[in-house]
Amino acid sequence: MRLTAAESPDFADLALAVQLRGLSYYFGQGDLRKQVLFDIDLDLPTGQIVIMTGPSGSGKTTLLTLIGALRSAYQGSLRVLGQELVGLGDRQRVQIRRNIGFIFQAHNLFESLTAAQNVEMAVELLGDFDTKRAKAVKVLTQLGLADRVSYKPEALSGGQKQRVAIARALVNQPRLILADEPTAALDKKSGRDVVTLMQKLAKEQQRTILMVTHDNRILDVADRIIDLVDGRLESDQSFDSFGQSHDPQSRDRRTLIL
Amino acid sequence: MGIPLAWYNLLYERTRLLVAIAGVAFAVLLIFMNLGFLGALTTTATHIYTQLNADIFLISPQSLEISSTKPFPIERLYQAAGIEGVEAAMPLYSDYMLWRNPETRVSRAMFVYGINPEDAVFLMPELQTPQTQQTLRQPNVVLIDGLSRAEFGAQTTGLETEADRRQVSIGGQYVLGGGFASDGTLIMSDQNFRRFFDPRPLNLINLGLIKLAATAEAERTAVALQAHLPEDVLVLTKAEIIARDRAFWLQTTSIGFIFSLGVAVSFIVGTVIVYQILYTDIRDHLPEYATLKAMGYRNHYLFNVVLQEALILAVMGYVPGLLVALGLYRLTVSATAGSLPVSMNWGRVVFVLILTVAMCSLSGLTSVRRAMRADPAEVFS
Repeated sequence: MRLTAAESPDFADLALAVQLRGLSYYFGQGDLRKQVLFDIDLDLPTGQIVIMTGPSGSGKTTLLTLIGALRSAYQGSLRVLGQELVGLGDRQRVQIRRNIGFIFQAHNLFESLTAAQNVEMAVELLGDFDTKRAKAVKVLTQLGLADRVSYKPEALSGGQKQRVAIARALVNQPRLILADEPTAALDKKSGRDVVTLMQKLAKEQQRTILMVTHDNRILDVADRIIDLVDGRLESDQSFDSFGQSHDPQSRDRRTLIL
Repeated sequence: MGIPLAWYNLLYERTRLLVAIAGVAFAVLLIFMNLGFLGALTTTATHIYTQLNADIFLISPQSLEISSTKPFPIERLYQAAGIEGVEAAMPLYSDYMLWRNPETRVSRAMFVYGINPEDAVFLMPELQTPQTQQTLRQPNVVLIDGLSRAEFGAQTTGLETEADRRQVSIGGQYVLGGGFASDGTLIMSDQNFRRFFDPRPLNLINLGLIKLAATAEAERTAVALQAHLPEDVLVLTKAEIIARDRAFWLQTTSIGFIFSLGVAVSFIVGTVIVYQILYTDIRDHLPEYATLKAMGYRNHYLFNVVLQEALILAVMGYVPGLLVALGLYRLTVSATAGSLPVSMNWGRVVFVLILTVAMCSLSGLTSVRRAMRADPAEVFS
């Protein structure tokens, strides 16, 4: 099953942030070698919010870490932001990662640093020491944390911490944002706020977002939902069609027919 | 300027920081005490040379240190006296003698210096008076060291007791200290030395003391003396003979080993404490460090953070360790009434600082491997 940008007509004319061709990935060596990703073709056009779903163990996180240059890919083709990652050395992968914003399930903020300092850590990567404070405050303000810039994580709520982590991922204006269950640790309202913010930024600043989530409450922000099962792309569709095919009522009906 | 992550990480865990500082300070203190005792003991052992009125010493090559010397012919002294620059050449006799405590009747070995009463052999001011010379000339009269151990009994002038089955009386006191090899010392005239240590002749001496003229230069005269004298004597300057005795105690007895082992154990204790603290710190921050790597930080950044933490701990622990050591040095000197002269010197201050930095760096380098292995891919799961 081949699903490419050509089948997502709305974004066909835009450049591709991510382009996968025949990507396979294995864990382990020798007899223990186990294939976890099978011949995946996938295009992520710039500006799209793509949600990746699928049962646990289906390879979602592995795919995310490959696209994020956190693992080395060996087989197939993996172009991220115009750069081929297959066969790339460690040092070059680190360089690629500086153009990608990562948002994790756990916020992973330094407890010893204030919200602003945690964000500044990302700005420092660009060697930008003069304006780092202003940049950090600006992005935290955009995320509604203007009055929390000097708070340490322990003084922030779960949603606020996650927003600081998002600010850290966004402050360098990366063209690609990879998020792994960003709302899992949040209550319904905080989770909704967080994804709405991400959606707003994607639309306003033409960011590409690939998000792994099991959170059905936030699926509606996606332009596209892809489903990964046992290391293979099972489906690739818009949110509306995903809603129909995953509608419990229609599914129940099919079950009855069978 | 970059955010001083190492500093913030250390400061954030106040309790852990205090424990780490206390651990480093404790190791630093132990190292200072071991080195202090070692220095004090070698100072004590070679203190005698600083109290001898000589610039150059003649000694048998077979002598080990001041208390175990091999006698050599007094002719060497006469030969030396003819060399240019030599103002005086004086013999020093020395040996052990059993001294009976007049109250407990227990005998114990005293170290005896025999001198010609005409010679100004010692520098102690209490020995420079004509009365002292007069006292020394009397038969069977000795001067006793005020720092001799209490087990030798009373030291009052006129006290009579027995030494090597001869009657002996105390004619006066001086302050010298016995060093390592003896618990007490006596000074007597060469004539009395001949009586007590019969049948030993006075033409075999233990140490030749050469006093130079003010214009003579010690090293050059020593070279000239060594060239002039046969090989059965060694010619040493004051600094050389002190170094020779010190080397004997440090290298050929267990003393050097004991205190070096003390330093080594303290070093290991400090290394383990700092390693434990740094490792725990790294372990607690592993997801954050992995996140930094995912963001695009390189391994050497994490390496620097951990090494900075190690160096901060080194300095923060060194300062209190040094201060407490200075206090304990003073306490030791007063508690031992000056017989264990522990004192600080710049060389030791710098040496221990280097050791502390090495100790913390070693811990940092050992524990940093954990941070370097942090896999950014594992944060996504």
